[in-house]
Amino acid sequence: MSTPLQVYEPFRAGLPPLRKYWRSLWSRRTFISEYSRSELREQHFDSIFGQLWLILNPLMLSAVYFLLIVIIGGSGGAIRYGHLTASLFLFYLVSNSLTGGVKSVTAGQRLILNTAFPRMMLPISATVIAFFKFMPTLLVFMIMRTVLGLPFGWEMLWSIPIILIALIFSLGVAILISTINVYFRDIASFLPYLTRTFLYLSPILYEASALKPQLRTFEHFNPLFSILESWSLSIVHAETPHLSSMLTALAWALGVLLIGTYFFLSREREFAVRL
Amino acid sequence: MSSLSASNTSHKTGDLAVSVQDLSLTYTTAIDRRPTLKARAKSLGRGTKQTRVVQALENVNLDVAYGQVLGVIGTNGAGKSSLMRTIAGIIPPSKGRIEVFGSVSTLLALGVGFNPAMSGRANVHLGGLAAGMTRKEIEEHFDEIAEFSELGDAIDAPMRTYSSGMYARLGFSVAATVQPDILIVDEALSTGDAHFKEKSFNKIKELRSEDRALILVSHAMATLREICNDVAWLHKGKLVNRGNPNEIIDAYQEFLHLGKSSVIDEDL
Repeated sequence: MSTPLQVYEPFRAGLPPLRKYWRSLWSRRTFISEYSRSELREQHFDSIFGQLWLILNPLMLSAVYFLLIVIIGGSGGAIRYGHLTASLFLFYLVSNSLTGGVKSVTAGQRLILNTAFPRMMLPISATVIAFFKFMPTLLVFMIMRTVLGLPFGWEMLWSIPIILIALIFSLGVAILISTINVYFRDIASFLPYLTRTFLYLSPILYEASALKPQLRTFEHFNPLFSILESWSLSIVHAETPHLSSMLTALAWALGVLLIGTYFFLSREREFAVRL
Repeated sequence: MSSLSASNTSHKTGDLAVSVQDLSLTYTTAIDRRPTLKARAKSLGRGTKQTRVVQALENVNLDVAYGQVLGVIGTNGAGKSSLMRTIAGIIPPSKGRIEVFGSVSTLLALGVGFNPAMSGRANVHLGGLAAGMTRKEIEEHFDEIAEFSELGDAIDAPMRTYSSGMYARLGFSVAATVQPDILIVDEALSTGDAHFKEKSFNKIKELRSEDRALILVSHAMATLREICNDVAWLHKGKLVNRGNPNEIIDAYQEFLHLGKSSVIDEDL
C-alpha cells in the first residue's frame, strides 16, 4: 500500500503542524502575488491615474496638516514639511495594511468553505497590497526631498531595515485584525478612530525630539513611535537613528507578528464553521 | 494541504483512496450569523449564550477505494457536509485520523467565486492557485472549463453580475475538469437549468472510472441509485449503514416513512 498523500489529524495544542503549514504557505506564494495584482487591478491602481491618486491622497493630506502646523505651531520650513510627508507615507503603509487586512478572512468566505489552504495567505496578501501602494509614494518623496533641498547621506540607507520592520509590524496587525473580525464583524467601523488616535500619538505632526521627556516614557507603549522616529531621522534628516529606537521598533514588530500569528493559527480551525 | 497538487501515480481499482478512521468532529459556532461587538456589548450581563457546540460527527469509520462511486445520504444536519469538509482538509478533525491517497477536488455547497468584484476568469485562477495548482496547470484546463460552463463572454465579467445558476455552472466545471483522483461533490448537481443538470449528470457518469473515486452527497435518490455502486447513510453524526445502493436507499426511505414517493426521486 502506498503512503497517504495527506493525513489529517487533530491539532496538538490547538495549532496546525507548523512545518507543514509553512511549506504549503510557501508553495502558494503565486496565489499571493496573483491575488495582490488582481486586487490592485480591480481598484484601478494599475493605471496611471490610479497611481496618481495613490500619491495625491497622502500628498494633499500632508499639505493640509502642514497648513495646520504652520497656523497653530508657527514654524514651517522644508525639513518640517519633508518630515510630515515621509511620516505620513509610512503611516499609510501600516494603516492600509490594517484596513485591507480586517476583512481579508471574512471576504474569503467562499474560498475558505470550499478549499483547504493556509488561511494566512489572505492577510499576507493584504499587506503585500499595502506595500505595492507604498512603493510609488516612496519615489515621490525622493523627488520631493531633492526639490526641498534636504541633506543627502549614506545614513539614509537605514530606512531600508526600517521599512522591513514596518512591514513586519503591518503584517502582524493585518493578521491580528483579520482574526478579530471573524468574531466581531463590526470591528472595521472602529478602525478610523484607532488609526486617527495613532496618527496623533505618533511623531508625524511633530518631531519625536520635540516631545517632553515625561511623554516620551509613555510613548514606549506606542509601537509606531520608535518606527516613525527612526524613519524620520534616517530618510528626512539623513542621520543615523538611535540603536535603542531601532531595537524597540523591532521588538514591537516581532512581538505583534508573533502574537497575531499565534492567535490566527489557534483560531484558524474554526474559520470554516464561523463564517 | 496541497489538495490539488498533481499526483502522477496511477491507481488501481480496489486501492484505498480515502480512509476515515474513528473520526469525531466537534465545533463551536456563533449563534448570531454575523456576530458584532455592538451586539455583544449590549447583551453584556444578560447571560445570553453567544455560541453553540455542535457534535457534527461521532466515531465514523469509512474507507473509500478507487473505482468506487460512493453516495452519501442522510437528513439535514446528519453531518454529510462536515464529513466532506474533513476529508477535503478544510476542517481538521477533533478525534481520529483521515488518510487521503490522491489529489482531491471539491465542489461543496458554495462553489467557486472568491471575490465577486473580479471576473470569472480571475476567480478560477485564484481558486486554482489556492487549491495548490500551478499557473501552468490552470492554463491547461482553463479553456475546457470555460467551454464546459457555457458562460461565453460572461467569463470575463465580474462575478457579481452572475446569476446563481451561472455561479453553479462555473463551480461544477472547475471541479469536474481538473481531473482529480478523488472528486467530492456536495449537493451541487441540483443547480443550474435542466440542460446543465443533464450535462453535469453525464459528466459525473463519464468521470466514473477505474482509477478514480467519487463521493457524492445528494438528496436525489434516483440519481444515486443510478450512478453509485456504494452508499453510506449518516444520521446525527453517526454512520448508520453502508453497502448496496438499492438496499441502503430503500431502508433510508422507509426510515423517512416516505416510501418511494416521487418527491425524493425526481430532484436530480
